Amino acid sequence: MGYGRYITIRLLNALLVLALVTLLVSVLFTKVAEEDIRSTIQEQINLKLRSNPELQRQLAADPAKLQEWYQREYNRLIRVYELDKPFWVRVVQRTKDTLTLNFGNTKSPIFGETAVSKIISKAIPRTVILFTTAQIFVIFIGLLLGVKAAQMSGSFLDRGVSIVAMVTSSIPMWWFGMISILIFSFKMGWFPSGGMTSMPPKEGFAYYLDVLYHMVLPVTTIVFVLFGGWAWTTRNIMIGTMQEDFIMAARAKGVPERKVIYGHALRASAPPIVTMTIFSLLGSIGGAIITESVFNWPGMGRLYWTALQQNETRLLMGVTFVTVALYLIAMIIADLAYGYLDPRVKVGASQQT
Amino acid sequence: MRWVDVKASMKEFWFEFRRQKGGLFGLVLLFLLIVTALGAPYITEPDIPKKWSQYWEGNPTTVPPVWYNYFTTKKLAPHEVLTSNDLTIVSEGEDIGGGMKYYGFEFTYENNYDTPPSDIIIRNIGVKLTDLNSPAQIIITLVRPDGVKIELLNTDLREGTTYQLAKDGKVRNTVFRWASEFEDPQKIAESGETLKSTMDTMRVIFAKAQEGILTNPEALKGTYTFQVDIFTFNEGDQVDLSTTEIVLPGRTYGLMGTDYKARDLWAGLVWGTRVSLTVGVTVAVLTVLIGIFYGVTSAYLGGWKDEFMQRVNEFWASIPTLPILILLGAAFKGHVSLWTIVFLMVAFYWTGIAKVARSMALQIKEQTYVEAAIALGAGTGRIIFKHIMPQIMPYAFAAMALNVPGAVLTEASLSFLGLGDPTAVTWGQILYDAQTQSATINGYWWWVIPPGLAITLVAFTFVLIGISLDRVLNPRLKRL
Repeated sequence: MGYGRYITIRLLNALLVLALVTLLVSVLFTKVAEEDIRSTIQEQINLKLRSNPELQRQLAADPAKLQEWYQREYNRLIRVYELDKPFWVRVVQRTKDTLTLNFGNTKSPIFGETAVSKIISKAIPRTVILFTTAQIFVIFIGLLLGVKAAQMSGSFLDRGVSIVAMVTSSIPMWWFGMISILIFSFKMGWFPSGGMTSMPPKEGFAYYLDVLYHMVLPVTTIVFVLFGGWAWTTRNIMIGTMQEDFIMAARAKGVPERKVIYGHALRASAPPIVTMTIFSLLGSIGGAIITESVFNWPGMGRLYWTALQQNETRLLMGVTFVTVALYLIAMIIADLAYGYLDPRVKVGASQQT
Repeated sequence: MRWVDVKASMKEFWFEFRRQKGGLFGLVLLFLLIVTALGAPYITEPDIPKKWSQYWEGNPTTVPPVWYNYFTTKKLAPHEVLTSNDLTIVSEGEDIGGGMKYYGFEFTYENNYDTPPSDIIIRNIGVKLTDLNSPAQIIITLVRPDGVKIELLNTDLREGTTYQLAKDGKVRNTVFRWASEFEDPQKIAESGETLKSTMDTMRVIFAKAQEGILTNPEALKGTYTFQVDIFTFNEGDQVDLSTTEIVLPGRTYGLMGTDYKARDLWAGLVWGTRVSLTVGVTVAVLTVLIGIFYGVTSAYLGGWKDEFMQRVNEFWASIPTLPILILLGAAFKGHVSLWTIVFLMVAFYWTGIAKVARSMALQIKEQTYVEAAIALGAGTGRIIFKHIMPQIMPYAFAAMALNVPGAVLTEASLSFLGLGDPTAVTWGQILYDAQTQSATINGYWWWVIPPGLAITLVAFTFVLIGISLDRVLNPRLKRL
């Protein structure tokens, strides 16, 4: 199977997944939104009646007339909100809207906007700034430590990396965030306890410095929780490679150890490591959902939290859709990179032959 | 596999595992956790989950644990409850003529602290009145270690009344009047009203009678005696002191302090172990069993069936888990039962294991003894369960242990988002409450640190066991 055909199949698969997930989510949310809309309709009718004394007087005299008026108003609003259409028609409509990035508006403004697509496009860059920066640190430190640990397997460093990896991967990242706020923000008073800028935001160059200052605590938290796992995985991959015959051959040939490690072993270990890198870089766009809300960082993660707390179903749909789409893109890129870097891997349906 | 073989391989396995120090340590931790989970009703009280959603009457809110005193120079009073056994009864219905009767009791409080209790609550005085219009009378007098006597309260006593001295306006007035005598008169004249409204009554009662008693009270240590006199005016009136309770809400409480609903966090921590272990282990076991079954079946069937099952697997695997779990939680309006959470996690987590199990099964399938079994006409089920599954089982155990931490962390995360089971006591929920009440910014460390440490400990336990199992069972890693 050719590479081109493989790409096409992979893309189609991803699109199908995206469509099906959207459909599934739409089913859930059409159901949730329905109850929401019904209560809105009640409120609107009551409001209309209250704000119109003339109508009130007219209807108060005749209960049958009130009933009739009420029913008429109710039916009209049901039509306005399209609740008269069958459930599945609404689900399909919602799916279509979501797939064409037509997310609608939120009930109350978030980040000063009500259009969901605008809110999300504001949130993404903020998350990128925070998590991508942190991920770059994680990857750099992780790779460095991992390779060193593999090189000196069984040493003090190697054991240290293993222990740190085990401990940090057991820590909930958001909890560690809470602890670092407690210590470094509350007790020591070194860093702000949350947010992206001071209030009110500073101007010009000072603004960027301010953002950097606000980033220190969250970035340190993310790096601390993640770097151990990265180092440990890199170490395991490297050790696996270093047991292969071609490394032995290189050593036997008298290739310098440095070259064996960086030239031969690291290159051969590249495919899984590159895949991991792509995944964590693109995955970071989704943001560690809860960590952001702990640090009050106004990115994608905080949006999730806000949408949940304020019951903003449209926003929830939008954020989920974007996160799933980015995740799928990451999967495709990672798969392609893997196939490209390691020709030994026969990807997809060709495994059988 | 015969029973003897199982026994032999278990023995061999244990021989290898024994040398894994981390694994043994993990087993010890696991044992302790299981003991805690099973013993929760005995370590604390059996009705904690029922009580958990309510406000805990009589406890102080958001105070640190008692042992916090070891680390501070200012000693904080612990929480104390005095029952009728701790009271000195002076009189039980002495007739003083005219149908009047006198009841009296005393209790003492040893104040060795820099910050005294936050209140004195007197409750459950069993009064029976014949005429509701003529209530009994209660007089509470304090005798301080410096010999000063203050009549704190002189008021009506009716059935079911609870006296909270720190919150009582009359007590406040009396104490303020008494304390102002020591304070700089100019200060009283200037800002008397402010001083009165901001005064911490308890601190003043337990303070040295000197200048600054209102603005900066300094604790007077020693024995404080509270005399309570009760007078009844009708012949049939009765007072029963056997149920009377005096609560001195502390500035510290128990082993782990309390939260904003005055709940004992120690009880929450102990009970949280149950949820964490149950969810973690159930999810891991079910996930691995389903994954292995799926993978092996797919590999064994082969051909288009295998292809189809792999496409389904890939589709399912490419759905990001946490966002969808959050969405589903929101769709259930935040009232997701624990078992729904377990079910959802199992539904999403089996895919990775299915992949690995399939690739292992593909190798085993090619072995000669399996081919021989097929040639001899063994059925599909027999081959899968008798020949392929036993080979994969060791891997399964390691996978189960390694899957627990993920499940524990996910459950905690969902609870932290406020999507957990509201009827269950979980560590994630304690942290959710802490977050919504801004515990970090207020410095309530005892509310934030222990639950997170507990989550980490459970996850760490299974990481240790899982990695050790992996080292023993995975020959490639064994050399490391």
